Amino acid sequence: MSSRKKILLKVIILGDSGVGKTSLMNQYVNKKFSASYKATIGADFLTKEVLVDDRLVTMQLWDTAGQERFQSLGVAFYRGADCCVLVYDVNNAKSFDTLDSWRDEFLIQASPMDPESFPFVVLGNKVDVGDDKRVITSKRAQAWCQAKGGVPYFETSAKEGSNVEQAFEVIARNALAQEESQDFNPDFPETIPINIGEQNQGCSC
Amino acid sequence: MASHQEPFTPGGVEDASRDPPSPASPTASFYDMSDDEEGEYSTIRPSKTGKGVKLLYTKSKVYVHPTPSAKDNIPGYVALIQQKPGRTDSISSPPTSPGVGSSLGGRRSAETSSLLLAWVPESSLGAASEIYSKVDMFESDSPPKQSCLVPPPPITTTHSSSLGTYAFAVPLSEVFSVMVRPPNTGWWFGSIIINTRGGDSFPPLFFHDSECQSTIAQRRRLQRENFSIGAAETGGVFWGGDQVISWLKKYVNVERSGQEPSVFLIEPNEADKVSFGSGGKPTPDKVKNVLQGKHRDEPMQKKPQNPGDAVTKALTQARWNFLEKMAQVTTFTRRTAQNLAENKNIPPQVRRLMQDPQVQTVSDEFDSARLYLARWAMGIAEQSEKERSQRIWTAKDVLEMEESEVGEFEVLDMDSQGLSLADRRKPVTLKEWNSYFNSATGRLERTPDEVKERIFLGGLHEEDGARKEAWLFLLGVYEWDSTKEERHAKMNSLRDEYIRLKGAWWERMVDEQGTLEEREWWKEQKMRIEKDVHRTDRHIPLFAGEDIPHPDPDSPFAEAGTNVHLEQMKDMLLTYNEYNRDLGYVQGMSDLLAPIYAVEQDDAVAFWGFVGFMERMERNFLRDQSGMRLQLLTLDHLCQLLDPQLYDHLQKLDSTNFFFFFRMLLVWFKREFSFPDILRLYEGLWTDFLSANFHMFIAMAILEKHRNVILEHLKGFDEVLKYVNELSGTIDLQSTLVRAEGLFRRFQRVVEAIDKKSNFPAPTVRQRLPQPPSPSAAKPGADGRPRQGSSGGGAGAAASASASSSGRARMTTGDHVAAGVGAQKERVISPELRALLSRELPKLDKTEVRAHGGGVAS
Ligand SMILES: Nc1nc2c(ncn2[C@@H]2O[C@H](COP(=O)(O)OP(=O)(O)OP(=O)(O)O)[C@@H](O)[C@H]2O)c(=O)[nH]1
Ligand SMILES: [Mg+2]
Repeated sequence: MSSRKKILLKVIILGDSGVGKTSLMNQYVNKKFSASYKATIGADFLTKEVLVDDRLVTMQLWDTAGQERFQSLGVAFYRGADCCVLVYDVNNAKSFDTLDSWRDEFLIQASPMDPESFPFVVLGNKVDVGDDKRVITSKRAQAWCQAKGGVPYFETSAKEGSNVEQAFEVIARNALAQEESQDFNPDFPETIPINIGEQNQGCSC
Repeated sequence: MASHQEPFTPGGVEDASRDPPSPASPTASFYDMSDDEEGEYSTIRPSKTGKGVKLLYTKSKVYVHPTPSAKDNIPGYVALIQQKPGRTDSISSPPTSPGVGSSLGGRRSAETSSLLLAWVPESSLGAASEIYSKVDMFESDSPPKQSCLVPPPPITTTHSSSLGTYAFAVPLSEVFSVMVRPPNTGWWFGSIIINTRGGDSFPPLFFHDSECQSTIAQRRRLQRENFSIGAAETGGVFWGGDQVISWLKKYVNVERSGQEPSVFLIEPNEADKVSFGSGGKPTPDKVKNVLQGKHRDEPMQKKPQNPGDAVTKALTQARWNFLEKMAQVTTFTRRTAQNLAENKNIPPQVRRLMQDPQVQTVSDEFDSARLYLARWAMGIAEQSEKERSQRIWTAKDVLEMEESEVGEFEVLDMDSQGLSLADRRKPVTLKEWNSYFNSATGRLERTPDEVKERIFLGGLHEEDGARKEAWLFLLGVYEWDSTKEERHAKMNSLRDEYIRLKGAWWERMVDEQGTLEEREWWKEQKMRIEKDVHRTDRHIPLFAGEDIPHPDPDSPFAEAGTNVHLEQMKDMLLTYNEYNRDLGYVQGMSDLLAPIYAVEQDDAVAFWGFVGFMERMERNFLRDQSGMRLQLLTLDHLCQLLDPQLYDHLQKLDSTNFFFFFRMLLVWFKREFSFPDILRLYEGLWTDFLSANFHMFIAMAILEKHRNVILEHLKGFDEVLKYVNELSGTIDLQSTLVRAEGLFRRFQRVVEAIDKKSNFPAPTVRQRLPQPPSPSAAKPGADGRPRQGSSGGGAGAAASASASSSGRARMTTGDHVAAGVGAQKERVISPELRALLSRELPKLDKTEVRAHGGGVAS
C-alpha cells in the first residue's frame, strides 16, 4: 500500500530577503528567470513532479517573505516539512551570518522528531555576479555546513540556472528519505504531511 | 397570434399548392416541400431553395461554450425539426401523418425518427436566420400553422461527427436522455446536455435567457397570466430549457428520472427505467454510465438550500463528478491529462478540455485537478455574473435583489436626493472637483462628507489630473477647510522639511554617524529599499527600464543600471526611514508608495502623501505583527458572523488563521488588482466613508465571491492558499466594490439586530465604544459632520488601536464568539467587529510604534 501511495514532499525555502529564494524556485520549476519578480509577501508555493530513482514524487516548494518580522506568521507552514533549504547570497555577508538563526528558528517551529538528522540543504546563490563582489568563500560556507553535521552545499545562480537542477535533485532525494523514515515510525503517524492528492476518500459530495 | 401569418422576406409565405416545383437538391433525402401535402398550411421557406425541413420550434441565443473563456462562446439556435418521414438514410419507418396536434398513441417510432433535435450556430444560417428568428418568436404552444422550411442541418448521431462546427441534428429516436440544469440567477446559465442511446453526449447547450427575446417575452406573459414566473418543467424561474422539454413532451414520452431529477429520459424502455431506479451503490454499469454522461452517479443532493443554489454543484454534473473522482484518486499530472485526453470512454468535451493548453500549464504548475476545476467553475460562474448585469428586470428579480445585500444597497441609495444613482457612480472630474471650491479663496464649499461620498462611490477621473490634488486631501496633507493660500504655504514648508529629512540620512550615510549597530541598520535598510524598489511595479511604464547609470558602483544594481523614478522611490523610502525611525522601512511599503508617486510625480509631494497613508498602515508593519494579527482575527470574526457555513468549512481545513488573506491586507490588495484599479480602490478606501476599515469588507467581498468554489472544491489549507493567491489579476473591481458595500450594510444590520435581541447585559467594552449607526444615520448628517466621528468614534478607533498591544487577550474574546456561533448560542459582537463600524481612522500611538516598530529608535 504505502509504496503505491502518492508522495508529496514538503520543502521550505528560507533565507534573508533578496537572496533569491523566489528566483531559485522559479528557475527550478519554470526554467526561467525574471528580474522583476516582486518581493514575496505572505507565502506561496509551487509544485513540481520529479522522478527520484524510479519513484514519482511531487515536491511542494514553499516560499516565504525574507524579512524577519514576517516569519512569525509563516511558521504554520513549517510543520510537516521534509526538507529545509537555506539560501544566502554569496555577495552579502549578512545573509550568510543569519543562516544560523534561520536554521534554529526552523527547528524550533517545525519541531521535527529528530532535529539532529533533519535534512537541510544550503544554497549559496548569485555566483554569477563578479568575483570582486563576492564576500563569502566556498570554503567558509562548506565549513559551516560541515559543522552542522554535513549539510549538502551548492553554489547556484538563479539568473543563469547553474547548479539549480542538481541542488534540487539532492533536495528531493533527502526529502524523500526523510518522508520515508517518518512513514516507518509508528509513534508518529501524524507527522505525515497533508497530502493534496489524498487517497481515495470516496465521493462525499 | 396573427403576426406569424404576415409575409416576410427573404423567405415568403406561400400557399404550398401553388408553389412551383423546386430545383432538385443534392440533399434529396430530406423533406422536399414540393411533394409534401401541406393542406391548408401556408409555407415559409428560403426563396433560393425549395428543399427544406420543417422547423417546428426553435429558441435563439443558445450557446455552446467550447472553452472556459466567454469570448469563445458560439451563439446558435436549438430547434425541433421535422423531416419527411421515411426519407432518411439512417432510420426507416413508415411515414405517418405529421405529429402536430395528433394523439399520442401509436406514432412513436415513426415520429421519433423523423423528428430531429438540433443545434445550429447563428453563423451558419444565412438567409434562413429570419425564419429561425420568426419561429422563435411565435407565441404559441403549438408549432406555427405555416410550414416554416429551413435548410436541413446535418444529421448526426454521435457527437464526434459534428466536431468542428458543433452543429448537430439528432433523431429523437436516438436520444436517450436530456440532462437539464436550470439557471441560477446571477450565477449560472441554464443548460441542457443531450445524451444519445449510443452513449455519446453532445456539448452542453447554454441558454442565455437574458438575450433571448422569446424567453423574455414568455416570462412576461407568464408573469401577466399567473403573477409568477415559475415554470412547471424544471422548477425555479422559467427558462429556455423548460421550453425544450415541453416541445419534446408533445411528440414523445418524456419521463423525469425519479432518482436523478435533472435527467429527462426520452422514450425510456423498461430496462432504462429499472437501471435508473436502482440507486444505491455504484455498479460497474453505473460508473460506465457516468463516463458516458448518461446520468450523474451521485447520491441525491443533501437538499438544495434553495432552488437553483445548486450553482457550483451542477456544472454538467456527469463530467464534473468524473473529474472530481479523478482528482481524488490521483493528482493530476500532464501524463494523466494526456491519458484522459485519449481515453475514448470519456465524454469528448472533457477530452477536449484536457487538451486545452491552459489545463496543461496549470497542471504543470500545481497538480491538483480540484484546483483547476475550481478555477474553471469560477470562470463559468463569472460569465453568468456578467449576464446578471445585463439582465432585464422582472418583478421577482427586484424582489430578490431587495432581499439580497446588493439590492438593499441600491434601494437605500435611490431615495437620497441630488444626483441620480448613475451620476453619483461616475468619476469626479477635475471640473467637478474644482467646482467644489470657492474660486476666489479656494476654500471647500461642500461638506467634506459630501465630497468623500462622491469619491467613495464614483472615484476620481483617471486622466484629467483630479487625483493629483484630491489625493492630498484624502491623505491628510491638506486640511479640508484650508484656503488655496494656506495650502500653498503648507506645501512650501513641507518641501523644505522633505529636503531637510533627505539631507539628514544623506549625511548619516556619508559621515557614518551613530553607533555601529545604527550604521549596520542603515546599510541594511538601504540595501533592502534598493532591492525592493527594483522589484516594485516594474511593468508600469513609469518604473520600467534602466536608462541611467547607477550612482553607486558598489550597488548590486550597478551593472543593470536604473532610472530616475526608481531613484526617486529610493530617496523617498530612505527619507521615510529617517522620518519614522521607530518603524523604519519594511517590505511592502514600496508597494504602497508607488501609486502615490505615480499620481503626484513629484517626490516631495508624494512623500508627504505617503506619510499620510502610512499613518493608517503603520500597524501592518510592526515587528510583532500585532496589527496584522488583529486584522486577520477581525476577518475571522467577520466571516463567522456573515457566513458561518463557509467559516465551518475553513475551520475544517485549518484555514481560520485567514493567513491566505495576509498579502491582501498587508498591502491593500496591491498584488491582486491592476495598477489603475488600485488607484480607484485606494481613493475609495481613503475616504473612510462607510468605515475606516472598509478594506476588511473588500476582503470579505472577495472571499464571498469565491465561497461556493471554496466550499465545493478546496480540501486543504494549501489549496485555499494557492487558490486565493492565484486570484491575483482576475478580480473585477467594480463588482467587488458594490459587493463590499452590500456586505457592510448587512453587517451593520446584523449587529443592530443582535444588539436589539440580546437579553444579555451589554459587554463592558461596549460602553466605551460608539453605538452602531442605524441605516438611516448612515447618510451624512445635514451639518456634514462625520456621522459618528467626534462623539463616539474616537473610542472605537482607540479600541482597535490598543487591541494591537493586547492581541492575546483579544484572542480570548474571539474564541468566545467562535464558541457561540456553531452552537447557535447567543452571539456577541466582538470589539474587533464593533470597531468596523467606526469611521475614525485607526492610528497608532507613537509609543506603540516605538515599542513594537522594530526600527532603530526602539
Ligand atoms: N545576479 C543575480 N541576481 C539574482 C539571482 N537570484 C535573484 N537575483 C536578484 O535578486 C533580487 C531578489 O530576488 P528574489 O528571488 O526576489 O529574492 P527573495 O529571496 O525571494 O526575496 P524576498 O521575497 O524578499 O524574501 C532580484 O532583484 C533578483 O533579480 C542570481 O542568481 N543572480
Ligand atoms: Mg521572494
